[in-house]
Amino acid sequence: MLVFLLLPLSLLLVSWAEASAASSVSDYHERLLLRPLPQSALLASFNFRSNASSSSFEQQNFRYFPRSLGQILQHAHTKELHLRFSLGRWDAENWGARPWGRAREGGTGVELWAWVEADTEEAANARWLTLTNALSGLFCASLNFIDSTRTIRPVMTFEPEGTHSNASMRNLHLLHGTLPHEVVCTENLTPFLKLLPCKGKAGISSLLDGHKLFDANWQTMAVDVKPVCPEDGTECILQIEQTVDMVLDIERSKRPRDNPMPRPIPTEDLVCDNSKPYHGGDSCFPLDRTSEMSWSLNKVFGRPLKGSCPLTTEDGRDSETVCINVPHEREVQERTAADLVKKEHEDGYLRCYKISPNLDFDLILPEQYLSSNLPLSHPSLHAFRSITGHGQERGGVRAILTNPSLTSPVRFVYLESLPWFMKPYLHTLRATISSSTAPLPDQYLEPQQAPNTADPIKQMYYRPAVDRHRGTHLELLLELPPASTLTLTYDFEKSLLRYTEYPPDANRGFDVAPAVIRLLSSSSSSSSSNGSSLLGASEYLRTTSLLLPLPTPDFSMPYNVIILTSTVMALAFGSIFNILVRRFVAADEAPGYGLVSLKGRIWALAQRLKARLRGKGAKDE
Amino acid sequence: MRLLTLLPVVLLAAFSMPTLAEHTSNWAVLVSTSRFWFNYRHLANVLSLYRTVKRLGIPDSQIILMLPDDMACNPRNTFPGSVFNDKNRLLDLYDDDSKGGQGMGGIEVDYRGYEVTVENFIRLLTDRWSEDYPRSKRLMTDERSNILIYMTGHGGNEFLKFQDSEEISAFDLADAFEQMWEKKRYHELLFMIDTCQANTMYTKMYSSAIIATGSSEIDQSSYSHHADQDVGVAVIDRYTYYNLEFLETEVTSASSKKTLGDLFDSYDEVKIHSKAGVRYDLFEGGELEVRKRLVMDFFGNVQNVELDAANTGVVANEIRWRQELEELGKMIEFAKKAGNHTDASPIQPGPDYAEAAVRSAESAETIKLNGAAEVKQDNTWGKRLVGAGALLGCLGVWAAGSWFEGK
Repeated sequence: MLVFLLLPLSLLLVSWAEASAASSVSDYHERLLLRPLPQSALLASFNFRSNASSSSFEQQNFRYFPRSLGQILQHAHTKELHLRFSLGRWDAENWGARPWGRAREGGTGVELWAWVEADTEEAANARWLTLTNALSGLFCASLNFIDSTRTIRPVMTFEPEGTHSNASMRNLHLLHGTLPHEVVCTENLTPFLKLLPCKGKAGISSLLDGHKLFDANWQTMAVDVKPVCPEDGTECILQIEQTVDMVLDIERSKRPRDNPMPRPIPTEDLVCDNSKPYHGGDSCFPLDRTSEMSWSLNKVFGRPLKGSCPLTTEDGRDSETVCINVPHEREVQERTAADLVKKEHEDGYLRCYKISPNLDFDLILPEQYLSSNLPLSHPSLHAFRSITGHGQERGGVRAILTNPSLTSPVRFVYLESLPWFMKPYLHTLRATISSSTAPLPDQYLEPQQAPNTADPIKQMYYRPAVDRHRGTHLELLLELPPASTLTLTYDFEKSLLRYTEYPPDANRGFDVAPAVIRLLSSSSSSSSSNGSSLLGASEYLRTTSLLLPLPTPDFSMPYNVIILTSTVMALAFGSIFNILVRRFVAADEAPGYGLVSLKGRIWALAQRLKARLRGKGAKDE
Repeated sequence: MRLLTLLPVVLLAAFSMPTLAEHTSNWAVLVSTSRFWFNYRHLANVLSLYRTVKRLGIPDSQIILMLPDDMACNPRNTFPGSVFNDKNRLLDLYDDDSKGGQGMGGIEVDYRGYEVTVENFIRLLTDRWSEDYPRSKRLMTDERSNILIYMTGHGGNEFLKFQDSEEISAFDLADAFEQMWEKKRYHELLFMIDTCQANTMYTKMYSSAIIATGSSEIDQSSYSHHADQDVGVAVIDRYTYYNLEFLETEVTSASSKKTLGDLFDSYDEVKIHSKAGVRYDLFEGGELEVRKRLVMDFFGNVQNVELDAANTGVVANEIRWRQELEELGKMIEFAKKAGNHTDASPIQPGPDYAEAAVRSAESAETIKLNGAAEVKQDNTWGKRLVGAGALLGCLGVWAAGSWFEGK
């Protein structure tokens, strides 16, 4: 009896001991950071991070690391992986700089870059193909469309985030591919959540709902896998970090799910501008909202936060799962049935909560007038890119890059990956700098010509396109003096596609991947002049994607052509055949042809008819 | 005496059971072939079927879902992340969270956007893929798999359009099914199609064990059921709507004993506005057998364990069993010997346990993907001088040539 009692107990103890031992090498950590942005927007940044020791990863002993992804990485010999799914546009003028030091963001659509281990370039390409195919199955996205035409090998833009030994670095190949046309929707969120240890059932991931995530003004999902080796020489770990960032419109997400139609504000709730001359009982000039909107986690995300994920670390700063970034005076009420640990960090701007598992948690922010706003960090570069020109044959691209800082110059790498059917003329590439009077980018039209005519292009890497095999790769290292605007222009030629190469919605246009801009910290620019060691904390920025209209044929035209040519051919063949097989004779030579014979024939016919009629009559009798 | 008369019946039943070879897995291929927002209803049709088969137990890994366009996250959709098949909007087909959070556990689309092509569909059916192709996008069926193939879109007499740019003909489909039959890729196949003149699509089939049903006869259109004013377009087709009505109300659990006969009888021409058709003749036993098949044989997930003792006799089976056991023993011995060589450490997967295939032969044709070359922007005067020099040289040669010629 005692044995029976002891056995489960000992098992429990052993398993607990194992768990605690494992947690020292492989741990899991998640955090939600909420930051209200101006214009009733709310930035919600979800971060999930788990580690696996490299030895357990090699032995396929997965604990928190997702097995499905781990096996793909092993199969494709991928040492570091970055995958992005993005939607919408970040409004830098109103929302300030991007979250996570802008490193967890992708261009519109899907972006993937990875360091693949291989001895030769061909082997790396083959493994890259394996990787994209496998990931397409895992993430329900058309990643298998990242073929050689959409793959480039950036030189300066990306650097491995993880620690790779110098020996292994020699065999690592960086490959980068984008799918700007790919839509990001619920089917991509489902596998994303499945990779998490708590699968979206508990913890902050229980807030992630496709209905809200894909209603956001801007959202990006990221998966990053990298090896991290501690400096003290202990065993390396493989770290997977999954992030979801979204900017929700509080007003829109508070609408009930079953009735999302926007309705006019009731008259009694309108705040009118009384100074207008036409202000009266029936006319109103509505004023902007001055108070902070009321919201709660439950209302904004449409579902409750179901406690913390029980697998998170229990103490330390990592255990604080939910953080909110608001000014001191903002009132925040917490609703939970359990005890709550609350901590304030960084001069009170950041409040963090440690929540307990299994109990619902909610944050309620009532409507409030605030005297001070949260300081927004300003982005150090504004980037706009558009297509210029008209017509079906040629076009141009103009990128306007503004340095808003009045004091410090900006050094950055500008990477373009163009599809093969868009062929730029490199000799038309012009980079002109004009010092803008105002740092705002919308006033670039009235700049004064800058006195310094130094070439802003410091370094340039280029690989021309080959039809149907690879796209153009253009990478520029640029330097922009303070308070100035750089206009980068080049012309391109649109190629004609073959009839079968057009997609079903060819008239919509073709998406061109966003340009990737990597901002180099100014300290590194002074220390290194060669492109190989541009180390330093790099921030990333992406322009919007472009829609390139290509000349499209009338797709019913081939059928018209087929019908017309067959008619012409039939006519021609018929008449030629007729001429060839017919024997031509003179009219008098023809036997029994002419008026006499015609008369005879009619007579004979009449005789025959008469005979038949008579015959019938005889039968009747 | 009574026992004796019963005996033959019992025996007959016992012997006829194994000949009714049962299926051991269920797969579903659900295809919408229309792009663009106004074809919302075709996606809703397919998603309704997806939800039904998932409800009746077919797991996501055995459902191949083909959606050519994105309706849920379409900018025109007033309800982001949702697709509805009824104007009451009680059921969100895309991500059903009615049951407290994750009702259906999300959605997994296997083929989407430009991937939905005739070529990919035929490749899927016949399983002709490159080595790297992911398993989740393949139809990994065998001779004991029952497959439900549901297609919807715009079609005509003996063709179905894919994304408004290409079409699959009834002949292509029939040949693909024949290839499947020859490759033993299905046990029984239920083909459903909801499109205009749908019944013409199955007229050319000639392979065994296929049950086919369509929404409308030749020269008949298939109509949509109703529109949702807030979505702004029609949300479901009639034939699918009444199929679903039957499945939702009659087949409520996996233990349902409703037969395909019941399902086919529920088709009402007055309600559907077109004459739904059924083809029985390809199936062994014809109409009688088809009508006896359970709805759950195709729409649900049934995992039957088959003991083939009855076919071979107990003794033969035991011999085979012993042989297998011996073989297994040999394998264990072999593994033990191999283990001795690499001492008794825990199983270490070798470096080549999952070696990605490296194709080298094609390298002659492939254009090298190597990195971009640096463009040097040195002083161009030197280059210009060289160019001018070359031009002058050419001029000199030409002048010399003409001078010699003149001589």
